[in-house]
Parts: sequence; C-alpha cells; structure tokens
Amino acid sequence: MLTRLGDLDQSFALMDELRRRMDHVWDDFDRGSVRRVERAGAEAGTGPRISLHDAGQALLVTVDVPGMTEKDVQASINDGTLTISGAREAEAPGGYSVHRRERSGYRFARSVALPARVDAEKTTATVNDGVLTVTLAKIPEAQPRRIAVHSQS
Amino acid sequence: METTTMTKRNESPERVNERPAVAPACDVFENADELLLVADVPGVAKEAVSIQLDKGTLTVEAKRGALATGTLLAGDSRVRDFVRVFTVPAGIDGSRIEAELRAGVLRVRLPKSEKLKPRRIEVRAGS
Repeated sequence: MLTRLGDLDQSFALMDELRRRMDHVWDDFDRGSVRRVERAGAEAGTGPRISLHDAGQALLVTVDVPGMTEKDVQASINDGTLTISGAREAEAPGGYSVHRRERSGYRFARSVALPARVDAEKTTATVNDGVLTVTLAKIPEAQPRRIAVHSQS
Repeated sequence: METTTMTKRNESPERVNERPAVAPACDVFENADELLLVADVPGVAKEAVSIQLDKGTLTVEAKRGALATGTLLAGDSRVRDFVRVFTVPAGIDGSRIEAELRAGVLRVRLPKSEKLKPRRIEVRAGS
C-alpha cells in the first residue's frame, strides 16, 4: 500500500513538472515578443519613447513614431486618460536582397493619466518628422494664475 | 611649462553642445544598381542630417530638434542625436549618393559604380 501511494506521488510530481515546463514555454514566448517591441521602440528600451510636459496653458505629450503618418496613429481622451496608439507595417522594397533588418513593423498603445483637467474640444494632435505631439489645452480653472501680492500699509 | 599646457588646450578645442547620441535602427538592402540604407530618425529635420563618405566609411549623423517646452512631468526629455557609421564596400559612386527624409525615416541610396554592376555577357554561336 505504501509503495502504491509513492507511485501516485511520483505521477503527480511528474504532472507538476510538466505544468512547470509548459509555463516556462509561455514565459519564453512572451519574452521573445517583448524583446521585438523593445528594439522597434528605438533607444528608450520599452516601447516608443514618450514624454509628458506641462507648458502652463497646456499639457504636451510627445511620442516617437518614425515611419508613421497621421493616418497610422489614433488618440482619444476618456475621463482624464489620454490613450494613443499606432501601427506601422514592416516595409521591404521589392527586388532588393536584405543585408540587415532592424526596423520591424510594430504596434503600440499607451495610456497617460492626465495630471490636470483638459478641454477635449481644444485638443490637437500632429505628426511631424515622425514625432506625434498631442497638445491638451487645460480648462481655465486648471491653468496657472498669477496672484497679486499687496502690502498691508 | 605654462606654454605647453596652453598649446595642448588649443589643440583640443572645447567641445560645444555635446549631446548623447544613439545608433538608430537601420535596414540595409541591396540590388543590382545600389545599396539602400533605411534608418529611423524621429524628430529630425531635413537640414539636420549630414551624410559623409570618407575612405570607405559612411557616417550618417542626424541632429534632433528640441523636444516640447515646459516642465517635464513624466518620461524622458533628454535630446539624443542619431549617429551611425558603416563600412561601405568598394565600388560605390560617392558623387551620386542620394538621401531622402520622410516621416522620420531616412533613406540613403548608394549607387554602385558602372564597372561593378552585373553585366550580361552574350554568348555567340561559333560558326
């Protein structure tokens, strides 16, 4: 009886081992796809390079999107969150042999929680020289205001 | 002693506007007529690109314009230029190199000189 229980344990151990390996298979797979995106995302390391600036009257979000035009990127605002996404196809000129391939097609999507309330109607987005700039005008209440300092006397 | 230091200083001029540079992602293609180099250089204006071929070394330099103004709240505001150096095989016609910049993607065409192009040799039947 004892030996039989041991056999049972062993088979369960085997199944555990199998599941563990299967998990790792997917881990490796995931890591591979992440690495592809990273390389496409130029120098920043994780996806396209993105930055958020506060220019007083407006918030500015800039994203590097080389090879994309205004048709390839989308931007939307929903409840204080800006979501931008874009995609580009891997392009290969016909009739050429390939020596080096580092620029891949990729898609990205990023969401930015906006630190100030903005007027969605006055928001503009432009793509220029492969850089997407989203200008989000702040609502008047959120804009900086100069407070006059008076003396008491 | 003082004079030598002065000369040394003059020999290595002060480096102005030194900014970090990164290697852009590049594709290299070739066909019978030319080599084609494609590089991602977002944020670079046409005037800020310099391409030089010197003794078989092609240097592609692209200076990035300033990023958005204002206080940085998140992300990375450091301006990084793009520099990449390639060794070019012999037989490239340096005088006919062409470059085109569109949507942050730079395409450089390096035409092969005439004598390097593949040539079809006609076989004639011996009479």
